[in-house]
Amino acid sequence: MPKAIETHNLTRAFGDFIAVNDVNLTVDYSEIFGFIGPNGAGKTTLIRMLCGLLTPTAGSGKVNGFDITSQPEKIKRTIGYMSQRFSLYRDLTGRQNLVFYGSVYGLSSKELRARIDEVTSELDLGGFIDRLTGSLPIGWRQRLALAAAILHRPQIVFLDEPTAGVDPAYRRTFWELLYELADKGTTLLVTTHYMDEAEFCKRICIMHQGRTIAMGPPRELIEKHGETDLEATFIKLIATSNRTG
Amino acid sequence: MRSIWALVRKEFIQVFRDPVMLRLIFVAPLIQLFILGYAVNFDVKLIPTALYDFDHSQLSRELARAFSIGEYFVVEKPMLPLQRIEDGFRRDRYRVALVIPEDFSSKIESGEQSAVGFWVDGTNANSAGIAIGYAGNIIQGFNESHLPLEVPVEMRQKVLYNPEGKTIYFMVPGIVATLLTTITVMLTSMAIVREREAGTLEQVMVSPISTQAFILGKTIPFAILGFAEISVALALGTVWFKIPFVGSKALLYGLAMIYLLTTLGVGLFISTLCRTQQQAMFFGWFFTLFAILTSGFVTPIENMPRIVQHITLANPLRYFMKIVRGIMMKGAGATDLYPEIIAMIIFGIIIFTSASLTFTKRL
Repeated sequence: MPKAIETHNLTRAFGDFIAVNDVNLTVDYSEIFGFIGPNGAGKTTLIRMLCGLLTPTAGSGKVNGFDITSQPEKIKRTIGYMSQRFSLYRDLTGRQNLVFYGSVYGLSSKELRARIDEVTSELDLGGFIDRLTGSLPIGWRQRLALAAAILHRPQIVFLDEPTAGVDPAYRRTFWELLYELADKGTTLLVTTHYMDEAEFCKRICIMHQGRTIAMGPPRELIEKHGETDLEATFIKLIATSNRTG
Repeated sequence: MRSIWALVRKEFIQVFRDPVMLRLIFVAPLIQLFILGYAVNFDVKLIPTALYDFDHSQLSRELARAFSIGEYFVVEKPMLPLQRIEDGFRRDRYRVALVIPEDFSSKIESGEQSAVGFWVDGTNANSAGIAIGYAGNIIQGFNESHLPLEVPVEMRQKVLYNPEGKTIYFMVPGIVATLLTTITVMLTSMAIVREREAGTLEQVMVSPISTQAFILGKTIPFAILGFAEISVALALGTVWFKIPFVGSKALLYGLAMIYLLTTLGVGLFISTLCRTQQQAMFFGWFFTLFAILTSGFVTPIENMPRIVQHITLANPLRYFMKIVRGIMMKGAGATDLYPEIIAMIIFGIIIFTSASLTFTKRL
């Protein structure tokens, strides 16, 4: 069965610093896959390589069957990306942003209108889509950013800390939207700091200092390490990894 | 194609939503045109002139009148005696003094040669030289009208293209060329770096938009703004300052289009080098200052030291400056300007392609 994502010994160095070190992973279609790890663990670098924004120093990877080193432009057609930093134009309205990003993905104006109507109702953007993006509260902005990332119906969506700085109640709403997307068959790769969010994922990968130190369904990981919750498991794993160096 | 159009449209929405940007693009150049148009003036006119006439004769008055006719000298009775003539210069009461000695008319009437004193404030060597030139012409005219003799050589001068010697005729085309340079280099580099700073560039790069489409989408809006800008400047120049536009407007715009390849390429190049808008601003400023100073905009290239003259050959604005002045003032055509046109094409192609090649969609 084809995999959404496969990597083999994927490595990326910036000078002497190895941001991503020898990562092997596979992600199935329509699963929600989580990357967790402390700041600087290499999550963002890994995602950027998978999206074709950075070239690997060593190793290889495939996204949607396309090679990340030689076919990044083919990958870009089939993925959506929501970066860690809010990346819509603050001086445009939500709709102008969506029109812009949709056109960049080659949607015709007719498709674009239809898709904007669809995502507006799916993500409930109606109340603020015509307001200047810069003036919106952060939770609403994140929903708009998600809308921009899924407008062209990508098969795989990468979300880099999509809920950073969003209040807890709102994070829940956001994750409900992600579940709906996954139900409709979209593969989601999410990085997060929040352990409760990690538990929403079907499988997670814990990263530390560029390496993957554990991978599997959250429940299994907890049981395997004899803990009661993910947070304790996470702390234990990081500590063990620090000891063994 | 669709994505180019989307970028162009987005860029225009952003420009027109930002009042500071709008002012920067449209008001600043107008101010520049007015200030430079009026302030940078090498015309030497209405020179305050002190007249020391110790002769008080018909002839001396005639000479004085010859000076006061025309708009070059304003002849006044001096406030200070001749012994203190320098005080007048130091206090800027006058820049020129004409001293007619007592024996001025008697010598001439007895067939002898007479002399008059002509003092000039040499602080500004340029205008001093021009004043001396004017005075020489006046004296020559006076001689011709008072001597029955034929003068051996008479010079018949013909000043082409700007017979009144108006600085502004020379300045406005120069301003048009520098405006187009500044605005397109600055706006292009800032627009891309701003997106890099804001994080939107990452979002665009993760889309399937091609590098070529991105570059075109990012440069076309500023090319259009550049054209709007020079059109405003030209309209103002011809309507307000009444500057004659002798040559072909179509040729000027066509060549401006070629020149834009260079400036947009430079802007693009700066944006690949810089991470922040401050850096981009600095580089843009450095480039435009260098380009303007060595373009012959104010100082003629021939006046520069030989080594600097060689350096100016590497300045694309130098060629465009000559083209704009040539077309506007002299009515030069493509065949008259072909060395400049070829230089500009070469610059444009090299700079724009190498800038485009350096620009990648990777972070």
